[in-house]
Amino acid sequence: MTNKTLTGAPLHPAVEIYVKDAQTGKLSRREFMARTTALGVTSAAAYGLLGLAQPAAAAGHAQQGGTMRMQMEVRALKDPRAFDWTQMAFVTAGWLEYLVEYNSDGSFEPMLLSGWEINDDATVYTLSVRQGVQWNNGENFTADDVARVITDWCDKNAEGNSMAGRMTALVDDVTGTAIKGGIEVVDAYTVRLNLPQSDISLIAGMSDYPAAVYHSSIDRENPANTPVGTGPYMIESNEVGVKAVLVRNEGHEWWGYAEGKGAYLDRIEYIDYGTDPSAWVAAAAADEVDMTYETVGDFVDVFESIGYERSEIASAATLVIRPNQAAEVDGVKPYADVRVRRAISMAVDNSICLELGYADRGIVARNQHVGPMHPEWADVPAIDYDPAGALALLTEAGMQDFEMEISSIDDDWRKNTTDAVAAQLRDAGFNVKRTIIPGSTFWNDWTKYAFSSTNWNHRPLGTQVLGLAYRSGEAWNEFAFNNAEFDALLDDANAIAAADERAIVMAKIQQILVDEAVTIQPYWRSLYRHCKPGFVGWEMHIAYLPQIYKIGIAA
Amino acid sequence: MGLFILRRLGVMVLTAICLTFIVFWLTNLYPKLEVLAKTQGNFRMSDEAVISYLGNRGYTQALPVKYGQWLGVVPGYIIEGSDGEIRSKCERNSPPTDETPTFCGIIQGNWGFSTVAKEDVADVLPTRLGNTGKLMFWVLMVMVPGALIIGVLAGMREGSRTDRSLSTVSIIATATPEYVSGVILIALFATPLFGMQYFKGTATSAMDNITFNNFFLPVMTIAIYGMGYIARMTRASMTEIMTAQYVRTARLKGVSFANIVIKHALRNALIAPFTVIMLQVPWLLNGVVIVETLFNYKGFGWELVRAASNNDIEMLLGVSVISVIVVLMTQLISDIGYVFLNPRIRIS
Repeated sequence: MTNKTLTGAPLHPAVEIYVKDAQTGKLSRREFMARTTALGVTSAAAYGLLGLAQPAAAAGHAQQGGTMRMQMEVRALKDPRAFDWTQMAFVTAGWLEYLVEYNSDGSFEPMLLSGWEINDDATVYTLSVRQGVQWNNGENFTADDVARVITDWCDKNAEGNSMAGRMTALVDDVTGTAIKGGIEVVDAYTVRLNLPQSDISLIAGMSDYPAAVYHSSIDRENPANTPVGTGPYMIESNEVGVKAVLVRNEGHEWWGYAEGKGAYLDRIEYIDYGTDPSAWVAAAAADEVDMTYETVGDFVDVFESIGYERSEIASAATLVIRPNQAAEVDGVKPYADVRVRRAISMAVDNSICLELGYADRGIVARNQHVGPMHPEWADVPAIDYDPAGALALLTEAGMQDFEMEISSIDDDWRKNTTDAVAAQLRDAGFNVKRTIIPGSTFWNDWTKYAFSSTNWNHRPLGTQVLGLAYRSGEAWNEFAFNNAEFDALLDDANAIAAADERAIVMAKIQQILVDEAVTIQPYWRSLYRHCKPGFVGWEMHIAYLPQIYKIGIAA
Repeated sequence: MGLFILRRLGVMVLTAICLTFIVFWLTNLYPKLEVLAKTQGNFRMSDEAVISYLGNRGYTQALPVKYGQWLGVVPGYIIEGSDGEIRSKCERNSPPTDETPTFCGIIQGNWGFSTVAKEDVADVLPTRLGNTGKLMFWVLMVMVPGALIIGVLAGMREGSRTDRSLSTVSIIATATPEYVSGVILIALFATPLFGMQYFKGTATSAMDNITFNNFFLPVMTIAIYGMGYIARMTRASMTEIMTAQYVRTARLKGVSFANIVIKHALRNALIAPFTVIMLQVPWLLNGVVIVETLFNYKGFGWELVRAASNNDIEMLLGVSVISVIVVLMTQLISDIGYVFLNPRIRIS
């Protein structure tokens, strides 16, 4: 252990602040890991700064070879930038890798980058591209590839590109593409990003599932047609709704072999059993799959009863049950009125949602979509539960007779939680209609339903999800929330600041979300995956990232 | 005979045209097209973007024109889109070349493109049909002999204890739809609840490799339903034959009971069940939709459900064409087979 940073550069000055904050208890260990490794500190050194040893990786006991079958929905692939399902990334992860990897302990590990340095005010990022990486068509992986992909990410005009929301600092507001001079290729293995304003979330953004690094020859309609990538596997078949198979790419010398990264399995099969968890249990009981993609609700116990092992991770994955402020119902915009939204929030007890919707497997949240697992969380109280006051407020707004239609998908926990919300609203005297939409069509209009529920995955930083979903005009802003003050505060929060100062800004942001009653966000859920005994490295990932190269059969 | 078959084929074509036109009309209703645009393009498309997306891809043409293009009697569209790209139907929305044919409908053998599976309909359907074919084969293998044996045994001696018990069983079987019997069978034989976990509650692995374990439950679910019905028909026809004059004469002459049943009664008794069996095949397609979804077996019925729920227009049309062919072909076979079983009937 010689270098404390990935590139060998001196520690970023903010690291010192984080160490102090961590020692005085202002930062949790996970927050500390996320903060420091995002600044280019190695995870071993980050643990060292806290006076801890890095936990040993369990994957050391995997044997080479074998087949793994996972129950997972197999969806049609599309442009990776536009991925809206992590399941898509699980398929492409065979050959498309990521620049940076986010781990469940909160740390960021370099993958196709060998390291990065960030200047003091987080406006210049120097990315070192890993040397010796080859595309599976024999070409070398260089800084040009990294620059090309980041430029693509910044293209706000590309249909459905959610990466633009993660790269906001690099996107020109006028043209909707990367700012001039923002992405600079210094030499064959160095890329420099010059940001007009501070942004600490870029590295975290690069680790998210749509940030797969693809070759220039990609077929954006269906990446499986031109599977050129840097990863250890090759796609053998991809039958939407049925099955996708990855096999080891024998002719390709993956960089990870030399690094001891893994890729133990020879063959990975994703088998689609639909959206009904009881079919997954049937598949597991019939020994047709080895592990689930994710286990939800009551099925956690069911899988344990058939002898499966459990992997559990407390995460910031959550569900929002939100009105759309711009939605028109019969010619009026019922939810544009903040009184209506506040009435909805006041009539719902979040702990009841957790109990009925997710069998108490998580922690209660406060409708702020930032939680104690995020580094920047501030302790802002939730709106008071007051069903009588809620009805009074609704009556004041003149909407007591308005029939609220609450839509949800037809699965287990999302449906149950939405039912719990609807039932509480009815108890409070609201006029509520529940609509259940099949999974195949639900997502066609998910940002547009007047009142519906949507699940959101964990993101390393709280401001990331706020930037993706709550900033005015973003692709995924399903709330139609449009608040200039909020946007400005979010920019401030993205600049580096000590935990104390940041908490002040975050407190304001969270207070706005509560005051505006943007959404009901009842709980943070724990995530579960179940696996047949005999596998290693299959643990559930806090953000569902497709780290399939870590999975192996126990030696 | 030849004329009869020709006429039947004519009816088949006409039915196919009518049915596909109805499906085409329903799937091309504007709200359905909007869903399609949003699934294919972008989930948050503005309404203007939806209109230009649909316009650029030929969806906003008049219904008869679009239908004619799908059939292949109207030249495929070549549209210069609002985004400056030229899209032609026959090049799958790429710019046309010199070799691009003018017509590219189902008459030219072009079944279209599945927007959900991202594959040619002509590539997807044979796999699905193959899977369903395997399922149907085993269903018929179990159902037909089973039903005939039960029917004949019950009909041999009307009113006997065997007759009463077998009839009760067949009535119960016919009265239980697949979505009930399937769930019951899974609960009984594929879960540890009752200690009888002999079979698998899913047939996904049967797509690659059929085993007794993974195929028993789906086959039985469909077979039980059809079996009761056919058994009832066989029994009715058998009891009638057994009271016929010539059977009585044979008995008076001292022919053994077994011989009467097998040599004299059976052939005549099978005429009615034969028609029923052939008519039952299209009915089985109903059951296939439910059972394939229930057991997660990716066949024709499962594809129908998926195509319908995603408004996969060309896939749905392909499914309709195949359904029409299956239904009318089985009827044709039943009519022809009838002639061989019953020499009194003449066609044409």
